[in-house]
Amino acid sequence: MVSQALNRVNDSELIRAAQRGDVAAFETLVRQYDQAVLRLALHLTGSEADAQDVYQEAFLKAYRHIGNFRFECSFYTWIYRIVTNLCLDYLRRRQTRREEPATITNSDGGETDLLDRVSDNRSGANPERDLMRRELGSKIAQALEKLTPRERMVFELKHYQGLRLRTIGEMLNTTEETAKNTLFRATQKLRGVLAPMRTVR
Amino acid sequence: MNCEWVKENIVLCIYDELADDAKFEFEQHVRHCLPCRQELESALELKHSMGLHPVQEVSPGFLTESRMKLQEALEHTEQSRGWGRWIFDFSAWLHQIRLAPALAMALLMTGFAGGILTSYRMRPQNIAMVPAGAEEASIADVQSIVADPGSSRISITYNTLKPQMAEGPSSDPKIRQLLLLAARDPQNSGVRLDAFNLLTQKPQNDEVREALIYAVRYDRNPGVRLRALEGLKGFVRDDIHVRDAVLEALLHDTNAGVRQEAISLLDPVKADMSVREALRVLAGHDQNKFIRSESKRVLASTPHLE
Repeated sequence: MVSQALNRVNDSELIRAAQRGDVAAFETLVRQYDQAVLRLALHLTGSEADAQDVYQEAFLKAYRHIGNFRFECSFYTWIYRIVTNLCLDYLRRRQTRREEPATITNSDGGETDLLDRVSDNRSGANPERDLMRRELGSKIAQALEKLTPRERMVFELKHYQGLRLRTIGEMLNTTEETAKNTLFRATQKLRGVLAPMRTVR
Repeated sequence: MNCEWVKENIVLCIYDELADDAKFEFEQHVRHCLPCRQELESALELKHSMGLHPVQEVSPGFLTESRMKLQEALEHTEQSRGWGRWIFDFSAWLHQIRLAPALAMALLMTGFAGGILTSYRMRPQNIAMVPAGAEEASIADVQSIVADPGSSRISITYNTLKPQMAEGPSSDPKIRQLLLLAARDPQNSGVRLDAFNLLTQKPQNDEVREALIYAVRYDRNPGVRLRALEGLKGFVRDDIHVRDAVLEALLHDTNAGVRQEAISLLDPVKADMSVREALRVLAGHDQNKFIRSESKRVLASTPHLE
């Protein structure tokens, strides 16, 4: 709690400096959150190039509008609000294009199979079981694609980022109750799609 | 509590969002209700399965590349100065006055002082009613000529450029400001070098450090960039902006001497992941043989990190 409060005080000083046009202060703020932002964008978009676009657009937007930051929420919530909005736009655009990201595009333009990212650290893992895990990983990725952008975002923030529903509500400009209902719908859909699948342990 | 309520709240339970009392009742119910227990197990199984689509950690190289691109973009971006920012927020002003009278007074005084200074600078000093001083100062340019048709009187508006000299110790703020100005003189690299030779005696000053970073990134003269790099030597360990500037010089500077100096500056922070990533790239692909071998040497000096 103490470290959180200290972070907040430090953030406030940096934000005020950034509002006065101090780019270095803004960059220090960026350093505190950019890795998490990039990780979120990468997982949601599945493409390094798209994740980098979201990352850059988010922080440039934050820099341009930091004068409007009124300290009504934490900087973390504020920047995540910007990022989630950009990611939602991205997911909506992708949904209309009906892309099937069975592969991810890396920065060199090459494609990597999503399943290759599913690690298998067990010693002596047998190929049959490994293949099954990869198939399941693929099914999960496809099931996530079936969620609406908002359901996907709430599920991502809750399941993968571990945020509280109240915080998710704040980030998405909605109530905790709505976030809860959206999460409920998302998990129901995922369970429906993945019901036939057997968990590999 | 009934089964319907339990089913609606299973998701909150598995993500630890239920209040303590509700969680207790939930657990009590599930312990004695087989369908609800199966429902819970199914939800837990789903949660476990989602681990097969894990969140990938961002690689240091990708992070560094993204940061550099952002830094470049920030240099060409200005903060929004829309009308909204100029609308006077009376309640906020009142709040601030109440909480910080000294700050409010300081702001008012700064406003007055700024106003006086601005009007002083903008006063049309270059309009001479009598051409007596024209030969005393060199004329920079003539702005306008107006001849009075009814008489032989001519009005000429011109600007003058008058060399001036300032003297004082290096601690004098005015001298430091002039040195900082000289450090960005676009015409004369000798002046810039002289300025940095003096400024680097006190690089702990933020403005000086900023000028040094600027020179490392943008100065056209490699000698000046090299001098600026030397001036930043003591700050690579503690100042992340300095480290980034040196890293950029190492990766992108066109001069091998500057890059060589950058490698030696980064030696104390060779454990930094971004630095190691950059060194790995250079060790493998750099066109300059010396840079390749130096990068390999620095990496090899810490085998436990490889």
